[in-house]
Amino acid sequence: MPDNLDLKKPSDSSVTRRDFIKIGATAAGVGAALWAGSRLQKGSGVSSGPAGGAAIAAQSMEESLVRTACAMCPAGCGLEVRVVGGKAVKVEGNAIHPLNQGVCCLKGQASLEVLYSPERIRNPWRQLGARGSGDWEEISWDEAIDLVVEKLVALRQAGKPHSLALVHGELRGEMRGLVNRFMQVYGSPNTISTSSLGEQSVRLASYLTQGVNGLPVYDLNNASYVMAFGGNLLESSRHVISYLGSLAFMRRGRPQRGKLVAVHPRLSLTGIKADEWVPIRPGTYGALALGMANVIINSNLYDQDFVRDFTFGFEDFEDAAGNLHKGFKSLVLERYTLERVSAITGIAGETIARLAGEFATNRPAVAMLPTEPGELGSGNSLYSAMAIHSLNALVGSIDAPGGVLVQRYPTLAEWPEISLDGTALTGLGQPRIDGAGQADIPLALSALQQLPDRILHGEPYPVEVLLLLNANPVYDLPQGGRTAQALLQVPFVVSFASTLDESAAHADLILPASTFLEVWGDDFMEGTGYAGVTLRRPVVETLHNTRDPGDVLLALAKHVGGGLAEALPWKSYWELVRYRLSAIDTDWEIFESNGNWSEMVYFNASPGSAAWNRVVGRDRRLSPKDGRYDFFSRELYSLLANPRDEDCLPHFELPATLEDVGEFAQEYPFLLVSQALITQSQHWQGVVPTLQEAYGLQSHARWTSWVEMNPQAAEALGLEENEVVWIESQFGRVQAPVRFYPGLWPNAVFLPAGLGHSSRVKWGRGSPEALVVGVNPNVLVHMQSELLSGQAAFNPTRVKIYKA
Amino acid sequence: MPRWGMVIDLDKCFACQSCTVACRMENNTPVAGPDQAGKGRAILWNEVLPFIEGEYPRLVATMIPRPCMHCDYPPCTKVCPVRATYKNEEGIVVVDYNRCIGCRMCTVACPYGVRYFNWFPPEWPEELKQHLNPDPEVAPRPKGVVEKCSFCIQRLHKARQKADAEGRAFMATDYIPACVQTCTGHARYFGDLDDPTSLVHQLAHSPRAFRLLEELGTEPKVYYLKQG
Repeated sequence: MPDNLDLKKPSDSSVTRRDFIKIGATAAGVGAALWAGSRLQKGSGVSSGPAGGAAIAAQSMEESLVRTACAMCPAGCGLEVRVVGGKAVKVEGNAIHPLNQGVCCLKGQASLEVLYSPERIRNPWRQLGARGSGDWEEISWDEAIDLVVEKLVALRQAGKPHSLALVHGELRGEMRGLVNRFMQVYGSPNTISTSSLGEQSVRLASYLTQGVNGLPVYDLNNASYVMAFGGNLLESSRHVISYLGSLAFMRRGRPQRGKLVAVHPRLSLTGIKADEWVPIRPGTYGALALGMANVIINSNLYDQDFVRDFTFGFEDFEDAAGNLHKGFKSLVLERYTLERVSAITGIAGETIARLAGEFATNRPAVAMLPTEPGELGSGNSLYSAMAIHSLNALVGSIDAPGGVLVQRYPTLAEWPEISLDGTALTGLGQPRIDGAGQADIPLALSALQQLPDRILHGEPYPVEVLLLLNANPVYDLPQGGRTAQALLQVPFVVSFASTLDESAAHADLILPASTFLEVWGDDFMEGTGYAGVTLRRPVVETLHNTRDPGDVLLALAKHVGGGLAEALPWKSYWELVRYRLSAIDTDWEIFESNGNWSEMVYFNASPGSAAWNRVVGRDRRLSPKDGRYDFFSRELYSLLANPRDEDCLPHFELPATLEDVGEFAQEYPFLLVSQALITQSQHWQGVVPTLQEAYGLQSHARWTSWVEMNPQAAEALGLEENEVVWIESQFGRVQAPVRFYPGLWPNAVFLPAGLGHSSRVKWGRGSPEALVVGVNPNVLVHMQSELLSGQAAFNPTRVKIYKA
Repeated sequence: MPRWGMVIDLDKCFACQSCTVACRMENNTPVAGPDQAGKGRAILWNEVLPFIEGEYPRLVATMIPRPCMHCDYPPCTKVCPVRATYKNEEGIVVVDYNRCIGCRMCTVACPYGVRYFNWFPPEWPEELKQHLNPDPEVAPRPKGVVEKCSFCIQRLHKARQKADAEGRAFMATDYIPACVQTCTGHARYFGDLDDPTSLVHQLAHSPRAFRLLEELGTEPKVYYLKQG
């Protein structure tokens, strides 16, 4: 790539103020002359522009706008990147993308710091010394791929394809299909996602009640009353940008203003910008939802027609065998009285009653579930999510305008037939290494938190090769250092990281991924309800000797050969995407130039119509697809052995860790609440300097972690603002300066998520050559598996605080 | 001649700081790093300022995104001993980095705290210099000058040039600053305050409109619309 945009080195002291004065004219003119002058010094032959104007473009300064898809978070916005002289210099939103409609959040804006990050790994690396020693050797891609292929072939020859495991984070677009297909045809059941740390129980709640295995999407554009459970809606929810736009529209874009209520122990940005913040005792969302249901039912404010005709298990009922079962109504009226719910949640009874009344009478109303790690991790997340979701059914907001939508996806070209050989069938017949779907967690799709211990114990069999794709388990779930130990125990670990993250540091081999701004690809459009696809294309040439993981998986498949090569015949990921998208009936040229395609409109299904069966009951396996929303989950009833009625109904139990009495609670009096902030890019495990400089908005905290405490609690401990304290749990301790924050539940403390990564760069004047930015709150927790769902249960963790 | 102004609807602003970062990427304000940021020297022309008052659980939180107000009677320009900072004919308060002697009188005089001093030459790791905006107006500023929001004046210049190149008259709607373009809540409006048909003119006359420290008589051209 021509190095024709070698900008003036601002830190170069050879340009002094005196030089500036010599050149001078107007402010703009000075800039132009200086800019061009410095380039002339470099001998690139670009002539200077007229005063007040842009530097005149010689062809080397050719300028273009390139549309692509963002990957800084799971929202999947469309971008338009300004490229000058082969360098990406500014990111904007794609104005004709339905999700973000021309806007771009701070993470998208800062994505150029990811692209040009000095911390990127530039070539495949092989660990020479002991694992984790940091003794790396650069090798060629051919060598790297040969190394992996050799292991993969050997495993299959030994008849142990199941001892390959792949841990992945968010996979977008066709990557999901590619990864699943790769693992299936290879013969391993061990495709393990990070979903058990985040959205798994929400997905299951939708499945067990509404019969749709997917994350609900909410139609905020048309909602009159929005109740957000959790603090992430406006910060790091999956569809944050489209929701921001919708909320702005809900407030000022239409004749009647809607109301937004945020329920969270902390006054997050969501609470600040909501019409009302309802502080709640950590971990008790489910109780509040059931208390509200109690009021709504008691007052006959629910949608009686909808509940009668399109739900199941509201009233007590008799099954075919003549056994009487308790319904949602009786359970809620008996067990979740205002007094009891008020005692559990710490919210005044009259507030709960008012919220319930507002929710039921300002229709369309919608209750939103959080999907981010830590928000629903109290160990009661599945039933809590079912309880919250049931509020939507009570007011008839299922697939209604202003209610819950079911995300649709385009119909794509069929994957070619696959043939599984004997080795693959043997491997796929093995139990999953993480235990998902087995024993106590029959509903779990993945259970990443169980992986470290099971690897260490060789249960149910040893893992021989582990692939890490967009996942950093050593950071996400340290488990007291056991995850790192587990990686060291696996004979061969391969990471697709772009930077040397905490997990990649323990790998044998790093196959560095190109950033999303350098590759061809695709992304699902999610958050609008209707189907759509966003295209990704390189905005600049690949900067380093890196590759797209999709291309690498295809290369591995080809070299492993046999059925795997036949199942994945494409030469590149882009070729695969082109094949899959060929079924979309649209002009490809327009598709490419727009950067996206979508159906543009969501048709709500009317209850009872043929379309209704696609939004209620669609994915049920064990219970009738009769278009009824299950207050009483027939799916659970069929799945569980000897279920009690309550096991199939949304209910709430206070986790023992939340009890504020007893010896344990006395020793660890505080509840740790952690939450992803809008300044955190969940998909980039490195330091983005500008995001660090905007990190803790309410606390003025930059380039550091901080611990927020309610001022009364802090003063009771004799702490002063900004004093450094230890935050200690049973599992570990970290240090951070304390910030007094009145917007916090009295015995909650808050640590921001996403910090604690190390950086090997000197960031700015006076800073060290390498540093660790803040602390990782996950070292304070030990993730257990919640029964049934396999959701990682860890939040809130009990901690104590003392002066450092 | 337009009189450029901005309206920020606090009801639609979600304090996401996208404006803050968009401004940095457009205007090449440098990475301060932990040491300088810790000393309060991070240069962010467009910061979001949190005001959280009251006691738990009854709190009033107001988040104010704060660009330069581009006052019609700017206190900063009056105190500049070398006329380095001035209000141009379209009402934009700019700094001639060439004239600025770094005395920081303007920084003190500005009641809104929008002016930032370059204590040192700006620094980026070598690789990150590649993404700097090559527009000449935003060439990185040297040590010893004061810098501030310019309503992205480089975009105004480019919009004029584009209109010229297309052989048509320049229109006020051809030009918006980076923060307005990127605003996730569509909370920012920009245009000619003197044009009675413009959206900014109409919104500036809304009963919800107010300006910061109006009592000082600085006549800011950035208006806010009240929340709620």
